[in-house]
Amino acid sequence: MCYQCCDWFKQHRPHLVEKRDSNGLNMEGAVDSDTSSITTEEPQTEAKPSSDQVTNTETDSISNTEDAATDNSQSDSGEFVVTMLAKAKLEEQGLGVKGRSSPLLEAGTQDMPAYMSHREEDVTAESWRQHRKHVFVLSEAGKPIYSRYGSEEALSSTMGVMMALVSFVQTSDNIIRSVYSDEHTVVFLQKGPLVLVCVSCTRQSEQQLRGELMYVYYQIISMLTQASISRIFEHKKNYDLRRLLAGSEKILDGLLNLVDSDPSFLLGAVHCLPLAASLRDSLSQILQKAITSNLVFSILIAKNQLLTIVQEKTVIEDARLEPADVHLLLNLIGASSAFQAGEIWTPICLPLFNPDCYFYAYISYLDPPECTVCLLLLSTDKEAFYAVAECKRKIEEAMTAQNSLSLIDKAQSYSVSQVGVSDLRHFMYKPFDVPDNYRQLSQFTSPEMEAPYSSEEEKTRLLDLYRYMHSRIHSTSRPLKLIYHVAEKETMLAWVTSKFELYTCFSPLVTKACAITAITKLLRWIKKEEDRLFIRYPPKYSTTPNPSKSSRSSKSDQQDSTDNGFLSLL
Amino acid sequence: MPEVSKLKKPDVKLVLLGDMNVGKTSLLHRYTERKFKDTVSTVGGAFFLKQWGPYNISIWDTAGREQFHGLGSMYCRGAAAIILTYDVTNWQSLVELEERFLSLTDTANHDCIYAVVGNKADLTDLTAQLPQTSDLGDQTKSEESQVLSACPTPPASPVSISGVLLRKQVTHDDAVALYGRILRYKCLDEKSTLPAEKMCFETSAKTGYNVDSLFETLFDLLLPSILRKRNENQESPTVDLEDCRTSGGKRGKASCC
Repeated sequence: MCYQCCDWFKQHRPHLVEKRDSNGLNMEGAVDSDTSSITTEEPQTEAKPSSDQVTNTETDSISNTEDAATDNSQSDSGEFVVTMLAKAKLEEQGLGVKGRSSPLLEAGTQDMPAYMSHREEDVTAESWRQHRKHVFVLSEAGKPIYSRYGSEEALSSTMGVMMALVSFVQTSDNIIRSVYSDEHTVVFLQKGPLVLVCVSCTRQSEQQLRGELMYVYYQIISMLTQASISRIFEHKKNYDLRRLLAGSEKILDGLLNLVDSDPSFLLGAVHCLPLAASLRDSLSQILQKAITSNLVFSILIAKNQLLTIVQEKTVIEDARLEPADVHLLLNLIGASSAFQAGEIWTPICLPLFNPDCYFYAYISYLDPPECTVCLLLLSTDKEAFYAVAECKRKIEEAMTAQNSLSLIDKAQSYSVSQVGVSDLRHFMYKPFDVPDNYRQLSQFTSPEMEAPYSSEEEKTRLLDLYRYMHSRIHSTSRPLKLIYHVAEKETMLAWVTSKFELYTCFSPLVTKACAITAITKLLRWIKKEEDRLFIRYPPKYSTTPNPSKSSRSSKSDQQDSTDNGFLSLL
Repeated sequence: MPEVSKLKKPDVKLVLLGDMNVGKTSLLHRYTERKFKDTVSTVGGAFFLKQWGPYNISIWDTAGREQFHGLGSMYCRGAAAIILTYDVTNWQSLVELEERFLSLTDTANHDCIYAVVGNKADLTDLTAQLPQTSDLGDQTKSEESQVLSACPTPPASPVSISGVLLRKQVTHDDAVALYGRILRYKCLDEKSTLPAEKMCFETSAKTGYNVDSLFETLFDLLLPSILRKRNENQESPTVDLEDCRTSGGKRGKASCC
């Protein structure tokens, strides 16, 4: 198991980049971002040592760990990796023995839902290494918490090496941010007691990958809250967090699949279902009327896209709902939809709104058995289930009266052909100047992906192109306003102004002048359709009798995180 | 569908408790939908309203994960029946019932009835591999689900390949003993309460073995509290318009789902 991380890191060794984080210096220069020429050689195969060799390396290196660990300047060649490996090995032994004897780990192992096939994946297999994007989460003590592919146990030594890298760089007051090789980018993110690592062979930028790791972190926070995670690790440094996250792997898996397939995450904006403004307004009014005390958000979702969102008045003044929080909510709904007839009541934290307290989410489908229209009501009161369920009955009644469900059923995403611009194949448009209220939720609009982007591979390819354009536009070292990029099978144009961010995809033979004209037409079309494409004036209601008792500042809500019972179990 | 479910007032509350992966959602799903399918880990708790003849029984299917432990007492508040579920192939799941879940029942009614249910019996007993009820048509599916349901068992036990039985880690006697301890915890007299033989079940959500009998037994036992509650409501001056409508429906045994 160990040789695998050994040669994996061997590949990455020459490009190890350490960046001083303390004073905000970004030593970007060392990074060669031009990855356009992807080499086809496979270093894994040639670098794979026989098992005998591995044992030798290990025993040799363990003996001189002491010297190596103190010698920080040693950064060159194989010795560095060997040192890391030895260090990890030692750590693993230390932890492993303790872990095995503890009942916590046993419980964790037994509880592992093993029916998820990719959890059983052979982590020594070549296919495991060939995944586009690996994501690992570990605790500061090096304990595995989550791996996207393969079981955490099987990967404990690999994670040990990662932790060793993190702590090795830390000893010289630096923070490891990334490691580059020809084929892979390894990005590290440290958040509180958690270390998140992404190993990607996509062309995504470090910044984008770190953003995705942030989503993973937020998803974990949304289930446990930041406060309880820090408290747990303060109590017990080597706590096995999987004990609390057991069963949530599917939620994290689902999030990572969404991150890979849905551009909402890249753009940091939500996608709402195009709907006639009058229908959207009437839905909002229905939500606005069905309220109970301590209700703070009412959200209506159809086909995994937002229909409308209504916020409590004092809450909206306090803060807006961040797109990332909406993404987490949508992912939760997607992951918990297996048994759709019931009404779900569950605590959830919205990390960007307040990372330390819980909301209580009521989730129910309005159109069983199809289950496409979902109502999500968020309350700050743990006991409010029956009151909130009553709101749902009112909403259901009003929607039946207005025949809303069949109207929603007709709503669908649009085709790019409706724009009426030839050569335009696809686009993503994110406005910054949403009218009326600058606190509005960031949104974007985008047509269906149609031929030639109907197959999964082609969709991924287009998204990869968009990610590339996005990384160029948002490059920290050389940000761009406009980029015209002639790719192999299409021509891309991305443009960012103070009012919007736009990514377009044209047929390959379009000229620059043509593309510019097309964009002018496209912008005019969006302007015309604005009311249908976006939630323009998000309505509000008032459910808190005393404005100072808004959920954000309320102490009693903070209490809830302590009340959730984990601490008693430590 | 929405018209039917709205305005219905639950008569009694039943709660499913137990460690994750013991099959609480599957049990309920087998009973209400007559099917066994791959479920995902429940988040928080899911509320169902089950129409049983003229009565409405609310059922809380709770998450077994520790993450949601804090909500347990809220789900159990005022419960008239609690099903404590374990996995017959996993000793720890029985232990968890006593350590983690029993204290949650403190908020339940004082006359709450308890059932101890060992699920996944099909993995250890040949008899449980045959459904008890006659109306199960998805035997064809069992081939693929065999693999699915066999996996969430502790890695220590032998893996079941179609037909091979797993070692039973929890016997019926263990469950009966636990039932006795529950009564003692509740300070209930063993003689005046329901006997353990009646309240300890072994079921299989996969084959349907004993599932109907579990729920129907409980509902029958709940009938007195349902009637008492309805009487209390009738004594109150409020007129429940809903009553006239539902009383028309005949008690067709479980045919309404």
